[in-house]
Amino acid sequence: MRRANGRLALSLVLVLLGFLVVVQLRSQAADAGLNALSVQELGELVANLTTRNNQLRDEISTLQRQHDSVAAAVERGGTSAAQMRADLNRVLGWSGALGVTGAGVRVTVDGTLPGEEVEFLLNELRNAGAEAISIGDIRVVPGVVVTGPPGSLVMSGIPLAEPLELLAIGQTDTLGGSLSRAGGPIAQLAVRYPDVTVSVTGLDRIEIPPTDRNLQPVLGRPRL
Amino acid sequence: MSGLAARIRAIPTWQITLGVALLGLGFLIAAQLASEGPRTRYTTQERVPLVATALDLQAEQEGLKDRILALRASIGDLEATGQGGAAVTTDLGDQLQRARVASGLVAMTGPGLVIQLSDSTAPVPPDGIEREYLVSGQDVLTVVEELWLAGAEGIAVNGERITAATAIVDIGGSVLVNSAYVAAPYQVSAIGPPDMLDRLTRSAGFVDFIRGRVEMFGIGVGQSVSDGVDVPAYAGSVNLRYGRPAPSPTPDTGRGSPVPTESP
Repeated sequence: MRRANGRLALSLVLVLLGFLVVVQLRSQAADAGLNALSVQELGELVANLTTRNNQLRDEISTLQRQHDSVAAAVERGGTSAAQMRADLNRVLGWSGALGVTGAGVRVTVDGTLPGEEVEFLLNELRNAGAEAISIGDIRVVPGVVVTGPPGSLVMSGIPLAEPLELLAIGQTDTLGGSLSRAGGPIAQLAVRYPDVTVSVTGLDRIEIPPTDRNLQPVLGRPRL
Repeated sequence: MSGLAARIRAIPTWQITLGVALLGLGFLIAAQLASEGPRTRYTTQERVPLVATALDLQAEQEGLKDRILALRASIGDLEATGQGGAAVTTDLGDQLQRARVASGLVAMTGPGLVIQLSDSTAPVPPDGIEREYLVSGQDVLTVVEELWLAGAEGIAVNGERITAATAIVDIGGSVLVNSAYVAAPYQVSAIGPPDMLDRLTRSAGFVDFIRGRVEMFGIGVGQSVSDGVDVPAYAGSVNLRYGRPAPSPTPDTGRGSPVPTESP
């Protein structure tokens, strides 16, 4: 009896120990970074997370409608070909496999920048919610990277013509404001490259072509 | 003396184990309390609710992402159920699955490598800038770009899949990937060809990164080559709110094929 009580006590302590180890490791990993942030940076982080969560809620609404539509079609003994086509077009357009048209901005770079600074602009456009981006006639998709020194930029093995022109579909004010804000990318580039001028123009209609890359993985396989 | 040894031997094994476990417990409680100390001193009235809100939002985000993945899986199952041999929908179902795989909406596994970036352990000199000794969003972005150039076909950073819409940004010393807060160490997982590591280490851009960040500031870089690298599915929005898919002349799902949206 005494031995059984001892084992029970030992088990409880070990469970508590394991729990505390996990709590300690998780709190160290998550909070260490947050506690290094200033109040302003924390505010920016909260704004980013809020925006992302709102986008995720929109996506859930879309998927829920799609789910209900497909479920209703299946219940009727049929299929939802129209819904599947719409979903297919949405996924293809988003991924870059299909061209996209819509409102957005044209970013013109007068002067020469190195590849990493063009990537800096692309990253900023994505962060501002760009839904599709192209440079010249090349769609920016995963795997496409702008490289090279100023004046000799290459993208997907193709030399980029100057002046460089980036097109991005998205909310015009947000895209433009993100690039042009005080201390933003354009201001930073103006400091680093005084001879380069980056301008942003809002447009009601932009056409962004599909990628000519095959996006299908060759080596990877779906994980079940 | 022999009496003491005999008494020690007489102690049941479980009591010794319990003693060691209690010692560990005490140590952990002390460590937890000690780690709370400086944090409490550092925090201000404004910071506490902001940190709590950020953690709550991050936790909420995890739940929303799980919901998206579950809905996508459920839709896929329903579509498969409803295909019922109808050639048109079977074909559409196949195209959808291929499109989802190509877009990063499906978790993948395959050969590749994992690059781990960790903050420097080198002491910051008196005239140094502390943030330069931490892994930045730009560091993560550079490694991701170099992996693409080395032939990667699927990449994830700390469980966030890199897609056409992914931005990797810094806020202070923290990194956001797909607007999700990720903490160091950063694991960049890439599926790609067997010689990907060789291509990576021969790339001028990666060599510059090693010289500028690893050798100069002591940023930690580790790598692990594996036949079974996992990259998760992208769990974000794929909605086009401002753009509409446009007709394309290219007739393949992997590249882009317009699909009429009217009912048959």
